Amino acid sequence: MKIDITIAEGVPIVAISGEIDMSTSTLLRTHLLELVGEKRPLVLIDFTYVSYIDSSGIATFVEGLKGMMHYGGKLKFVAIPANIAEIFSFSKLDKVFEMYGSVNDVLDR
Amino acid sequence: MSVTVPSHPKYLCVVRDVTARMARIGGMTEETSGQVKLAVDEACANVIKHTYRGDTTKRIVVKFRMAPEAFEVIIEDTGPRVDPEAVKGRDLDDIKPGGLGIHFIKRVFDVVAFDQTKTKGNRLRLIKNMEKTDEDRHNHS
Repeated sequence: MKIDITIAEGVPIVAISGEIDMSTSTLLRTHLLELVGEKRPLVLIDFTYVSYIDSSGIATFVEGLKGMMHYGGKLKFVAIPANIAEIFSFSKLDKVFEMYGSVNDVLDR
Repeated sequence: MSVTVPSHPKYLCVVRDVTARMARIGGMTEETSGQVKLAVDEACANVIKHTYRGDTTKRIVVKFRMAPEAFEVIIEDTGPRVDPEAVKGRDLDDIKPGGLGIHFIKRVFDVVAFDQTKTKGNRLRLIKNMEKTDEDRHNHS
């Protein structure tokens, strides 16, 4: 798994590629909680190149979301492949996380 | 057919790859094989996290048995006995980190059971009943 964080219009975009599993979710957690610690009002997770996610990856996002909710921040997902979206849907988390087609759909550019 | 991996999370990708391929060889669709892959991954991750408590020096054995009517995966470890009653997921409506793995396992496998005859370590049996395709029905009619 690889993580690239860029800033667009002041918004961190966390682009993940590869598999999010028990061995890689700790690195994701570190980056995500760092952004939560900075009290970023909006963080985007770009799933375009994510090929797999397990329960540890999902738990990481739930933890990040809950941390952001404390200060009114928003965690939004973009470009989720169908197989990953299905896992969020089964977990009843598709109503908890805001999902968008692309980064541009969120930043309105 | 079996695969033995060290109890380190970095080897879970090996288990996933083998599981997905075995499921496809067993005749499952790509969607179902993806669910089986996730389920077996979660079961092995549970062994690492809960049974071995993060000890990466142990071993996990994953065995596959394929028959026309069922696809069976057996996961063995040498850790302390697991209390099946303690293996429970969270309520899916209770949004909090963790507790999803067992739901992923039970949604695709029809039988999820610890072999109580195993005296040392644990043996988890996962069985998925195979649905007959139209082609199967035609060939057997």
